[in-house]
This record gives sequence, structure tokens and C-alpha cells, in this order.
Amino acid sequence: MLNRRDAIRGGLALTVAAAATGWAGAATASALTWTPTALTLDQAHLLEVVAELIIPATDTPGARAAGVPQFIDRALANYYDKAQVEQLVGGLTRMDADARAAHGSVFTALTSQQQVELLTTYEQEAITLRTQASSQKNHFFPVLEDMVTVGYFTSEPGATVALQYDPVPGAYHGCVPLAEIGRAWATR
Amino acid sequence: MANLNGRARQENTYDAIVVGSGITGGWAAKELTQKGLKTLVLERGPMVRHLEDYPTATLDPWQTKYPQGQLPQEELAAHYPVQRRTNYTMTEYTKHFFVRDDQNPYVEENRFDWIRGYHVGGRSLTWGRQSYRHSPIDFEANAREGIGVDWPIRYEELAPWYDHVERFIGVSGQAEGLPQLPDGQYQPPMEMNCVEKAFKAKSEARFPERRITMGRTAHLTEPTEEQLSLGRTKCQYRNMCIRGCPFGGYYSSNSGGLVAAERTGNMVIRPGSIVTSLIYDEKAGKATGVRILDATTRQEEEFYADVVFLCASAFNSAWILMNSTSSRFPNGFGNGSDQLGRNVMDHHLGVGASGEAPEFADMYYSGRRPNGIYVPRFRNLGDAATKRSDYLRGFGYQGGASRPGWDRDLVKSGGDLTARGFGAARKATLSQPGPWIIGLGGFGEILPYEDNRITLNRDKTDEFGLPTLSMNVTIRENEIAMRRDMQTAAAEMLDAAGFRNVQGRDSGYSPGLGIHEMGTARMGRDPKTSVLNAHNQVHECKNVYVTDGAAMTSASCVNPSLTYMALTARAADHAVQARKRGDL
Repeated sequence: MLNRRDAIRGGLALTVAAAATGWAGAATASALTWTPTALTLDQAHLLEVVAELIIPATDTPGARAAGVPQFIDRALANYYDKAQVEQLVGGLTRMDADARAAHGSVFTALTSQQQVELLTTYEQEAITLRTQASSQKNHFFPVLEDMVTVGYFTSEPGATVALQYDPVPGAYHGCVPLAEIGRAWATR
Repeated sequence: MANLNGRARQENTYDAIVVGSGITGGWAAKELTQKGLKTLVLERGPMVRHLEDYPTATLDPWQTKYPQGQLPQEELAAHYPVQRRTNYTMTEYTKHFFVRDDQNPYVEENRFDWIRGYHVGGRSLTWGRQSYRHSPIDFEANAREGIGVDWPIRYEELAPWYDHVERFIGVSGQAEGLPQLPDGQYQPPMEMNCVEKAFKAKSEARFPERRITMGRTAHLTEPTEEQLSLGRTKCQYRNMCIRGCPFGGYYSSNSGGLVAAERTGNMVIRPGSIVTSLIYDEKAGKATGVRILDATTRQEEEFYADVVFLCASAFNSAWILMNSTSSRFPNGFGNGSDQLGRNVMDHHLGVGASGEAPEFADMYYSGRRPNGIYVPRFRNLGDAATKRSDYLRGFGYQGGASRPGWDRDLVKSGGDLTARGFGAARKATLSQPGPWIIGLGGFGEILPYEDNRITLNRDKTDEFGLPTLSMNVTIRENEIAMRRDMQTAAAEMLDAAGFRNVQGRDSGYSPGLGIHEMGTARMGRDPKTSVLNAHNQVHECKNVYVTDGAAMTSASCVNPSLTYMALTARAADHAVQARKRGDL
């Protein structure tokens, strides 16, 4: 498993690991199979690609199969406040602008390696911003990443396939080998 | 005012009236009806039927309207500015069990977190379920230290009623033989996990007087015939208790006391009935019933009975007494002592320590245990060894060890951005449990202070035109000194057990946050200095009993509901006997 902290500190090219851990091909987006409420079609399309980069399909379903883009679109419509919506939509807008500036086309049209490089840039920016004690600003990327994470692990595929979920455990056993259980519980 | 005569009055007449249907109202209803009294239970909020009215009890994580069942900030700010303050009570899963603050105003002269639910069952649906007895030390402390007034009863007088309550509600726990935390009637305890067992062994080796036991909780682990016959079954370890339990695994009025009362055929329950005052008969020198405001029709109505039990919660029972003025009681019902509304207590919390457990990386657990470990009070137990020079009384710890789940690297969880990354590697990491963490949080006793009080605002009324309460409660030097020790001693124990990155913390406390408000109509021996006598009767009007948290003379440091229930059952027995003798 890639140790993220070491990778960043060591200045490794993350794209090397990316190819080995399932990001390759994530950028191949198909047409939307759902109708967004809060987002435009282009934004929804972009969100599908980014969500899948953040939580890709591996031996378990990825963010797109888990309906994470729809989850975020719904939350943007009924849950997040105006500032949060603006931050996320602003982030999506910026991703396309950065993609055009660097590679001459929108984010979804980039290679997966180029996409991962851009996200890695955002991640570094967010870390830098976090370490500046004076800064009150949050970077959009960790916020987006958190939305995807929440959407994924509270989805039925996320909770029951990537994790495991037992609505009615029936008993409590306090000391069980992790190997017997396999994956983390979805709820506590 | 609706004065009823003849037949109409007869129709509104019962042997007993119980005001409130929460954890004490349910017990008063059960005991009074089982002892043959025709009983009217008045509840200000709507009906909540066991099983039928738990709309979120079986929602899966993907079925919520909002992310993680959290409510939008706008809704929280507009309707639940107080109820949200706990950070756990106000969610999509639970909001129907808590009041809307904008509809239930009060004045905070000092910040007071009044967390409450107005519906049948009250907070018995959402309580923490931890069930501990007050000890002999607790009942003697005020007298020994010259604090407040003496409790008019001692532990031995309440012990059989604790037995009675524990047998009915079902408490799972471990007997420990400690004088400061008397043992009770327990169903088998829940299990500690690997890290908790190791913590117990290592910390007790270093600090033998700081016993670590399994939490005593009102969950069924080996239900009795009686519990099964009421339709309750074993705890299923879902840990979704606060939504209402479809298994009746934990005790609530709705699944327990009210069901038993209903089965006697002696109970009438009337939701939507806001009791506004007691009716006092000057000639007879006793209460003849209560006045209500119907929450739906907004009509006043009167109900009559030989005996009235106020079980409306500490503040609302005090409110009813304050609002029940007459020429006999110009300053509030039974308030000749001027103690009504004073001596507000709670348990101060939000202080303790946490650490990380490097061992047992290959061990996990199954099931969601709705309970944790408990460290009974170990300070000021009456001997030199435990005596503190910096404060009186003591505290207990509640805590536990667990492995954090997928949400551990979120920004709101304090996740480390430099460590998380994105993509398949992070997904794989989050699909496994995080490293073990362990925490202890203190519950400290608050002393009774006369000027910690609630008062009635006749000029600031709610939507029903009823007076509101004003809160003026603060913690003092004794509590602040205790908090320092609560933090230090917790960190000592975690250090002694070899945990890493042990950090003490005090996240602050505002009165009410313990959701254990009490003391507003205290019991005592002298009518000049207390509102209630040794049987929870109003000194100045013997057919009115107050048996909720209002009655408490001191707070102890243990969760209070078990004591409220025991006091209620004892008082109900007294009322039935006294009524039989013609003594009310």
C-alpha cells in the first residue's frame, strides 16, 4: 500500500503509483445516466470523473457506481449552504480552467495521469494552506474529497461491499481477530 | 376557567393524576395503576407508541435525506440553536424526539443548555441508559460537610426500591462490591474489548483504588419472563438506541412502564395536555387536581384526583409549582421555604483524556455495543487516602476503546491532510479499521448553590401565552478544581496502561450539557429549607408528590435516572398507602 506521507515527502511522482493502484482508465467518462438538480450537465460530468479518481473502482465498486455524484448533487440542492455550494462549484470551474491552461482542454478530456497530477497539485495547495496559521480559507479540494468519501461510505455499495454493514448484529464480541472480520464496519 | 359540575366533573375525576410520561411519569403510572388507582397521565406533547412511532429506527446509512443524517445548518440555526449544542442529539434520525427551540423559548441569564423532548416517553427514549445507584456516602455528604440541607432519607431506605426498579427495567452490569457504588440486581454485563481489558489490568495494577468495570446500563442481556411478556427482547447491539428501539432492548417508558400501566386497564393517557397549574382547595388544604391547556384546541380544562404526581422533569415540575399561585401560595405552590427553583444541579463533563493503543492491531470486535467502561468515583470516599484538599465530592469516568472507521481522515474528524492522499490506496486504507483509540470522560458532582436558580418570567410568554423560565446557573470553584483533577487523573491512568500520545483535554462545560438538571424542589427534613419531605410530598400540601429530578437534594456523580425511578416507585407506594389510610 502506498504510504502517502512518505511519497509526498520523498517527492515521488504519484502518477507512478497511480497506474499501479487502479487510476488508469478512470478518466474515460460515459454519458450521464442521471439528471442533476444543482449542477449543470458539464459540472456533473466533471464530478463523476473526479469522484472516481478520489475513490476508484478496485476489487470493490468505485464512487460512480456507488452513486456518489448524485449524492453530492442532491446535497448541493438540499443540504449545503450557499458558501459551501459556491466553494464546490468554484472548485469545479477552476479544475477546467487549470486543465485548459496546462493542457488546452477541459479536465474530463485529459489523460488520467494529467488528471491525477492536477489533483495532486490541489492536495499540496490544501496542505500548504492548512499549515499557514493565519489563513482562514479552506481549499476546495479536501472539502470535495470529504463529500465524495461521505457519499461513498454511506452508500449501499460503499457500506456493504467496500466495508461491511450489519443492521442487527445480535451480539457483541469484544476481541475478535481482524482477519476473521476482514473489513472495517460501516457504522459504529 | 372551566368549572365543571356534576357529571362532567365526575368524568374528569381520577384517583391519581401523573403529570409527565417520561422516565418518572412512566414509573408513577405503572406503580399507581398496578396498585389499583385509576390514573390519568397528562403529557404535553404528542403520542409516541412503542414500535409504531420510531420512524427512523431501521434507516440504513444510505436512506437518509441528508449526508450522514446531519441536518442543514440553516435548519439547526433556525429551529434548534439549543438542542444542537450537544453535537449528538439533533440529527435527522432524532429530531422528532427533541423540542424546537424557537417554539419553546427561555431566557439564558447565563448560558444553559436545556436539552429536552416533549412527547409521550420524554427523554426516556433518548437517555444514555447508564444506571448507577447513589451510595450511602452520597446521602450523607450534605450533612457531613454542611452543604445545602441533609437528605431526609438514607441509602438503606431506597435500596429495596432500587432492587424493584432494576428488576423491572433490566440492568446489565458487573457487581463490584464497592461501598461508593452499591451493587444491584444485574443481568450479565456486556463484554470489554481487548484494549479495555488490557487497560483494566494495567491501570488497576498501578491504581488499585480506581476500579474499571463494565458500564451498568438499562439494556436486556438476559430478559426476565416479565420483560419478555411486555414485548421486550434482548439488546441486539445495533447502537441506534436514540432513535427508539424496535426490540425494546433498552428501557423506556414507552416500552416498559407505560405498557405495564396500560395493561392494568387503570390508565388513561392524554397527550397534548399542557398542565398549567395545580388546583388548590384552601378549605380542604389540599390540591384537588390540575388545570391544563389543550395544545391543539387551546382550550382550558380541569382534571381532578385525590393525589397528583409531578413527573414533568426538574424544570417543568418546578415551573408548574411556580405558576400555581393562590392566596395560600403567593410565591409558588409549596414554596414557603423560598427554595423552589433554587439549587439547580447537573453533572459537569467534557473533561478527560484520550490515547492511542499500539497493541492489538490484529484484533477487532463485532457488534455495536451501546455502552462503555466505567470508573467509579475514587476521590473523597471518607478515608484519608482518598481525601482531596482542593475540592469536595468526586467524579466517575465513562469511556471506552474502539477502532475508528472510514470517517477518521475527514477534515471534520481532524484528519491529517498530509497523510491521506486519494485514490485506491486511501480507499484500501479506509476499508480497514483505524488504530485503536481509548478515552475517558468525567462526570463530576455539582454542589447545590441557592443562587443557581431558575425563575418565572411572567412578562415573557411563549406561543401559548404561558410564562417562560429564566436560567441563572454557573459552576464554581469546587467544580473547577475538580475538573483539573478529572483531567490529570484520567491521563495518569492511560499513561499507566502504556497508551501513546495520551492527551488530557477540557473541552468546556456549560450547565445543562449533562442533561441531568435537578434540584429545583429539593427534599429535606425541614419545611423551612426544603420543598419536599422524605416521601417526595410537598411539605405544605401532602397530596402533591414531586418525584423527578426536581426532588434531588444533592447530585452525586452518577447518572441520576435510576434514582429518580426508585424515588418515584417509593413515593407511589407511600401515596397508595396514605390514601388508603385517609392521610392525603
